[in-house]
Formats: sequence, C-alpha cells, structure tokens
Amino acid sequence: MRSDLAARASRASLLVATPPALAMLLFLIAPIAVVVVYSFLTGELFDVGRPATIDNYDSAFGLEVNRTMVWNSIVTGLVTASVTVGLGLPIAYWLQFSAGRWATPVVSLVVASMFAGYLVRIYAWRTVLGSNGVVNTGLERVGLIDEPLGFLIFSRTAVIIAELHLLLPFAIVILYAAIRPVRPDLLEAAEDLGAGPTLRWRQVLLPLIASPMASAWMFVFIVSSSDFVTPQFLGGVRGQLIGTQINRYFREAGDYGKGAALAVLMIVFYAMFYALIRASLRLARLHRVDWG
Amino acid sequence: MVALVFLFAPLAIVVLFAFHETNSLTPPFEGFSTRWFSEVVSDRAVRSGLMTSLRVASLTAVATFVSGTAAAYGVSRTESRLKSVYAGLFLLPIALPALILGIAMLSFFSSRGIALSTTTVVIAHTVFVAPVFFVIARTALDRVEVAQLEAAADLGAPPWYRFRRVILPQVLPVLLAGAAMAFVISFDEFIVTFFVIGSESTLPLVIFSRLRRTIDPSVNAISSLLLFANLAVWLAAVLYAVRLQRRRRRDSLAQKETRT
Repeated sequence: MRSDLAARASRASLLVATPPALAMLLFLIAPIAVVVVYSFLTGELFDVGRPATIDNYDSAFGLEVNRTMVWNSIVTGLVTASVTVGLGLPIAYWLQFSAGRWATPVVSLVVASMFAGYLVRIYAWRTVLGSNGVVNTGLERVGLIDEPLGFLIFSRTAVIIAELHLLLPFAIVILYAAIRPVRPDLLEAAEDLGAGPTLRWRQVLLPLIASPMASAWMFVFIVSSSDFVTPQFLGGVRGQLIGTQINRYFREAGDYGKGAALAVLMIVFYAMFYALIRASLRLARLHRVDWG
Repeated sequence: MVALVFLFAPLAIVVLFAFHETNSLTPPFEGFSTRWFSEVVSDRAVRSGLMTSLRVASLTAVATFVSGTAAAYGVSRTESRLKSVYAGLFLLPIALPALILGIAMLSFFSSRGIALSTTTVVIAHTVFVAPVFFVIARTALDRVEVAQLEAAADLGAPPWYRFRRVILPQVLPVLLAGAAMAFVISFDEFIVTFFVIGSESTLPLVIFSRLRRTIDPSVNAISSLLLFANLAVWLAAVLYAVRLQRRRRRDSLAQKETRT
C-alpha cells in the first residue's frame, strides 16, 4: 500500500512540474528551433524567406571579418576563464582553510560586488582606462609615461580586463561553494600520511573539486566570449567579438538568416567544447568522486 | 585583498566622479557637488525607465516564484524517468549565452507575429532566471524529510494540505530569497532585454543609450544610486539571514533545555 501511495505521489508531482516544463518547451526549445530553421533560410529585411539555402553557413565561414572576431572571442574566453579560475581557486582555498572569521565578510563583499550593474561596470572601466582616465593621468603625473597608453582602451586588452572584473566574483563564489564541503582534516590526514603539497593537491583536493571547477571555467568562457556590449564600448575596431556580428545581423542589417547561422555555430561550438572538457575529466578519472 | 581592490576600485571611481562639480570625468577632482544627482532625480527618461524596470522585475519575480516552485517541487518529489529531462529543461538557460537567448526569443516572437513589449521581456526574463531559482528551490525542497510527508499522509492530510502546512513553512524563506534573486537579475538584465523590448525602455536601456552618446556624469549619478540601492538590499538580506540564524540557534538551545 505504501508503494502504491508513493507511485501515485510520484505521478502527481510530475504533473505539478508539467505546466512549467511545457512553458519551457514553448519559450525556450521552440525559439531555439526557430533559430535553427532561420539559419537555413534567406534573410530579408528583419525577416526570413525562401528558398532554403546553406549560403548563410558559407558566409559565416568565408568572411574574413568573422574569422578575426571568432579568434578574438576564443582568446578573450580562454584568458578570462583561465585567469578567473586561476585566481578564484587560491582565494576559495584561503577562504575555506585559513581566512577564519574573515571569510564571511570577504565573501559578502565579493557577492556585493556582483550586484553592481553590468553596464555600470563597463562604464567604470571606460572612465578608468580612457586616454584621459585615471590610470593614464596617474601614470603621466608620476612621470612614468609621456603620452596616454593607447592599448589600454579600445582594444582586446580592455575587453579582457572588463570581463575579468565582471566574472571574477562568479568564479570565486562557484569555487568557494565547491571547496566548502572539503573538511580540513581530510588534508591534514593526507599530510600526516606524508603527502607533500603536490600530492595533496593532485590526489585529495583536485578530485573533489574538478567537476565544479570545469563548470566554473566553462561558465566564464561562455559569458565572456559571447559578450557584445563590452566590446562595443571598450573593444574599438580590433577588439570586437563574434557576438558583435550576430547583434549586427539581427539589430542593424536585419539579415536574420546569417545571424541565425552564426548563432547555431556558436551553440554547436560551446556544446562540443564542453563535451571535450567532460571527456578529458573522465580520462583523468576526475569526473565523479564519491563524497562519502 | 588585491582582488577586492580590483573589484571595488573602478566602482569607487564612478561614485567619486558622480559628485564632481564639472562635467569632466578626468582627474584632478575639482570640486564637490550633488548637481548630477538632482538632475537625474528629476529626469523623466530615467524615471520612466525606473518604473518600467520595477514593473518588469516584479512581474518576473512573481512568475518565477509560482512556476519555479511548481517545477522544483515536482522534480524533487517525483521518481519518474522524466525527472532528469525536466530538470535539464529548467537548467538549460544557464548554459546558453544571453545573446543566443535574446536572438532566439526575438526570432520566435517575430515568426509568430507577436509584438514586442514589456510582456515579451517578462517572458524572456522568466526563462532566463529559471535555472537560478530552480537550483535554490530544489536544494531546499530536497531537504524536506519524506518521513514527515508520509506521517502527514497517514494522518489523512490531502496533498495540497501537506504542501501548504508541512513543506511550505520549511522552505518559504528560501523560495522568497530565490524570488528576490529573480527580481535583482531581471532589474539589471540588459542583453536579453535589448532584443525583446518594444518601444519602452528599462533603466539599463536608458543607461545604454546615454553610454553610447558621450561621457555623461548623469550616468555616474544613476550608477551610484543603483549601487547604493543594491548594497542596501544586500545588507538587509545579510542582516535578516544573521537574525534568522541566531533565532534558530536560540530555539534549538531552548529545545535542549526543555528536554533536560
């Protein structure tokens, strides 16, 4: 009788989650499907029409400007993701194992900085890095430079700095959440058994946090490499990412077909990249560790 | 420490120059004034943007609270094979760049002939914040003990009553925190909004259009006000959490005392 009740409860619960699931199908899966269909149609003024074509994909790969932007996106994503995770990890480690009573206020401050608006941060970097900005005027005042450093703003470097600023708090929070369940005595036990720092990292800590670490890395990579607003204000001519082109097709040129093809390629690239990371975690036997 | 300086210094500079007397945003700092703040407060575009943003964020929070709670409750209680499919659906938006979600929504609405408006923005935002709310709500719902529900069922409580009287009291604070997160994210959201809004403007869109024009200290003033508002909300949330924790500790202490 108990199992009968449980089965009925299970079915009833699924029923409760069904309306929101249908809403997601309608407002998430259907829109993605529309983009896929659009990518095979000819773009018209802010619409698409027949005939069906693969020209959109042809031009996506063929255009020189796309190749530059894709390259910029990959570099920006790789640098931002690696630096935020590379900085976030020691910070999370410090918060968990040696910060003591400082941990709570510091985490609160990091989270608080996430609440500073997206555009506000971009704006902040434009004031800081600009040729009359705080950095350049400061350096000139001190006498280190004679004229403003040109590469500081309107460049890929400027975009990467702003992305780091935007995403470092996310990396810290995700990694801190990942490292929190690791009890200090686990590492102490390894130390007592004679494991040096390298071995403790490789055999104890890394297996426990590798999976969330990969997620944090991928999250930062996706957000930073797909941005088009930051490059618009800080990237100048040469620092634009591929999102700029997608935005241009959809909002300015009105060629939904070409924009959709780029978007589809972007999704496929992210999915393949993530699958690759997962597969290498599995190869390194880091994918599923029992917390015990 | 260095990381904290990196995170806060640019923001501090924005706030500092919001109080600048002249309209230059470059050092040296020439004089203190609040003229940009009074200009912003009486600015009609800023005001209407703020109202639109508040409306969109409130509706998003309510829609997320209702649909997200149903989603998280259903997935957390069911043992069906569809469980992971459902969970995947609710989590998918976090793996998608906001840009992709924005153009997908735009394509979808335009292919169906649906006019863009704040309604389409609320729909898009509700999809966008779904994963965040889902994760928060599910963690809380998974912690509710099944034994309690079975006991309630054995005593004859119907499903709705079990939800209302056994589950909800335990998870409501967390669900409300999730809805607050939805509000905050929606309020600040720019990228998705940019694609699916019609003729109206949310506050981030107002800021965007000023950012495009030129250096404008009124942007500093708006930014500073938003920063302070956000920090105030955040501080209130932290204080509330601390108080809640203290009360819990006191309650459990009191329980121990009555037992002895």
